Amino acid sequence: MDVHFCPQCTKILSLGRHGDYFAYLGLPRKLTIDPAELEQRFRTLSRQFHPDYFYNATPAERRASLERSSYLNDAYRVLRQPIARIDYLLQLEGFAPKGPEEAARQVPPSLLEEVFALNEELDEIRELRAGGAPADVWKTRLERARGPIEARRAAHEADLESLSARWDAAVDAGAPDAERHGVLDELRERLLERNYINNLLAGIEKELNA
Amino acid sequence: MSKVVGIDLGTTNSLVAYVKDGVPVVIRDRSGDPLVPSVVSVDEAGTVYVGREAQRRLLVDAGRSVYSVKRFMGKGLDDVGGEARHFPFRVAGESGGVVRIGLGEREFTPPEISAFILRELKHRAEAHFAAQGEVDPDVDRAVITVPAYFNDAQRTATRDAGRIAGLEVLRIINEPTAASLAYGLDKRHTGLIAVYDFGGGTFDISILRVEDGVFQVLATNGDTHLGGDDIDLLLTSQVLADLGGAPGAEAVQAVRKAVIEAKWELSESEAAEIRVDLPGRAYRKLVTRAGFEALIRPIVDRTLDPCRRALADAGLEVSQIDEVVLVGGSTRVPLVRRLVGDLFGRAPHSELNPDEVVALGAAVQADILVTGNREMLLLDVTPLSLGIETMGGVMSKIILRNSTIPATGSEMFTTFVDKQTAVDIHVLQGERELVADNRSLARFKLRGIPPMPAGLPRVQVQFQIDANGILSVTAHELRTDVEQTIEVKPSYGLTDEEVERMLLDSFEHAEADFAARLLIEARNEAETVIQATEKSLRAPEFDAVARAELAAGERERIESALADLKAVLNGADRDIVQEKTQALNAATQHLAEVMMNRSVKAALSGKSIDRL
Repeated sequence: MDVHFCPQCTKILSLGRHGDYFAYLGLPRKLTIDPAELEQRFRTLSRQFHPDYFYNATPAERRASLERSSYLNDAYRVLRQPIARIDYLLQLEGFAPKGPEEAARQVPPSLLEEVFALNEELDEIRELRAGGAPADVWKTRLERARGPIEARRAAHEADLESLSARWDAAVDAGAPDAERHGVLDELRERLLERNYINNLLAGIEKELNA
Repeated sequence: MSKVVGIDLGTTNSLVAYVKDGVPVVIRDRSGDPLVPSVVSVDEAGTVYVGREAQRRLLVDAGRSVYSVKRFMGKGLDDVGGEARHFPFRVAGESGGVVRIGLGEREFTPPEISAFILRELKHRAEAHFAAQGEVDPDVDRAVITVPAYFNDAQRTATRDAGRIAGLEVLRIINEPTAASLAYGLDKRHTGLIAVYDFGGGTFDISILRVEDGVFQVLATNGDTHLGGDDIDLLLTSQVLADLGGAPGAEAVQAVRKAVIEAKWELSESEAAEIRVDLPGRAYRKLVTRAGFEALIRPIVDRTLDPCRRALADAGLEVSQIDEVVLVGGSTRVPLVRRLVGDLFGRAPHSELNPDEVVALGAAVQADILVTGNREMLLLDVTPLSLGIETMGGVMSKIILRNSTIPATGSEMFTTFVDKQTAVDIHVLQGERELVADNRSLARFKLRGIPPMPAGLPRVQVQFQIDANGILSVTAHELRTDVEQTIEVKPSYGLTDEEVERMLLDSFEHAEADFAARLLIEARNEAETVIQATEKSLRAPEFDAVARAELAAGERERIESALADLKAVLNGADRDIVQEKTQALNAATQHLAEVMMNRSVKAALSGKSIDRL
């Protein structure tokens, strides 16, 4: 748990370089967060840090209040969204994808079959459209092609939820590193696949609006 | 202790308010009018008029009057080229640079024109505090409101206007959020609130959650180029088409005034007549409310999509909104109320005067800042995503729209050639993919990167959006821990040096403006005395009174004092005007007493003065 004010002089402390969003908000490093509790903590800390209340303070305190408020808002924004929260945890634990190369890498093996089928279907649909087929014909086929991909996304959401629960249980049980790292590895794989699936769906959406 | 105020710097009207004994109040002029029309005009002699007088001058000297300047704040000439032809004033400037507006013989930037309005509000407030017997009636600090959807350039221009007017701008806050503060005063409102703010020139929608006195904006959307002005323009064009020919600028203003009055009337009645009296032509046209609504429907419809987008960004359904609040003069139009009611499925609130509510909220915020009162807290968001230009002319987003402010974001940069010591960075605001479709905010040159092989430096650039929604940038190289210097060239704004110079200019002119104001006041007073004297001299009973009551030569002394004052009345020397006014006052004092006694006696004896 972070300390935001000097215990002796009660002045707001400058932020410094290090920090982590969970500790900052006084939360354990777990993936299940009660939204109402997050909101409550966010409001309470906002009331302590906000620059509005430091207008007459020293420049150093005003600076600290701006830094602490900004960091609080950034933390709140990330922790409030489940996916961004997982992404952040992976970064924090050193399990983030290594950079844009890894994020945009080849088709994840588990998705090969769907992606292959989808690409074939998309080619055919484009041909249909180029050949002057009525919009409702190729649009119907596009909608149908979206079905299996959306099913995969739903399955992924469920996977991410159960993995999150496993992570939280591991934290609670003080599980050994090996077990925790296993969960983080899986979370990272699911997240990369999820991004890939989202790109596929965005591609279909683009075709629909073409 | 000098005073702080809240200012609503509107497209059509501006207001100033302050917190008195815990309650926000709007400061009115002597006739009880809270509004200062956002119009600035200058006469041939160089005297600047602001507000009602400037508005009157639009009808007689349109080419020397400027209105709706808010539409030009933070804009480049290229942004406003098409629209400028609708205005009677000159709009100039360099392509790619800030707009310049012709006011009489001089040219001003939009922040300078806005500063005239702010100075008028400052004077109004100072006169009010002085009249209240305050020891220090000076107003030197203010919270100024802007449309929530204003970008960084428009916010910065507003802050610059405040500085040029000699005000320390404590905070720039968003109009809909300010309105919610004013509404939240009685603590009745908790839950999810939609603030629909349709003003003279801009439209905003903000979705807020209010809980424990924290006013948290969840999402905002809008159009900074959509307001009552557009309705007026549509009606004006119709009438001008009816009239035909090539009307002069004053005729256009007469039409504009007439259609605005008809628009107001249509909020109360089912029909209104547009009445324009031009030399040699009396134009009359009956407009029904149904016809008016059919005409303006497309404009009002344009407000609905931003509402839906804000709800989607907040992750809310329409049915979850607990209350809808209306702000801005254009929400008086019944069609607007009806469509907003339909969209949200509930009757909107409008208990507070939609013209005044924003200024009241600004006053509350000013009070919070100065007193440290922690009862309420405003948490606003940045309306537009902030990013930088990357390879291929694509914008890479660093701080997403609807992020609670203050907020930060950072990006790592490196070099492309060996020993490169500077990197160019182009900062943008907007939601579109391509750089060209977004707003260019500024170009930075990062200097002082230690010479290293290409790709090795790691320069972290930190973007900070403060509680005003205004951006600042810092950078440092991580390998050497060297702080970089940043040169800012705002794309459509003023540099600090320019603002400083304008502030100094305004001091110089402020003295001239102040002198002009005093002269006008002295003339007004002189005219009052002249009129009263002439009335007495012309009165039927004067000869009888003079014979019976006046001393020898008294009448001649009055007449010569009167002639003296009339001779200096139109001069530029205020002291002489005042001196001669006092002389006439002294010369007529005895006469005034005599006349007064006679009328009192007449009243007591029940006889009319006319019959004496």
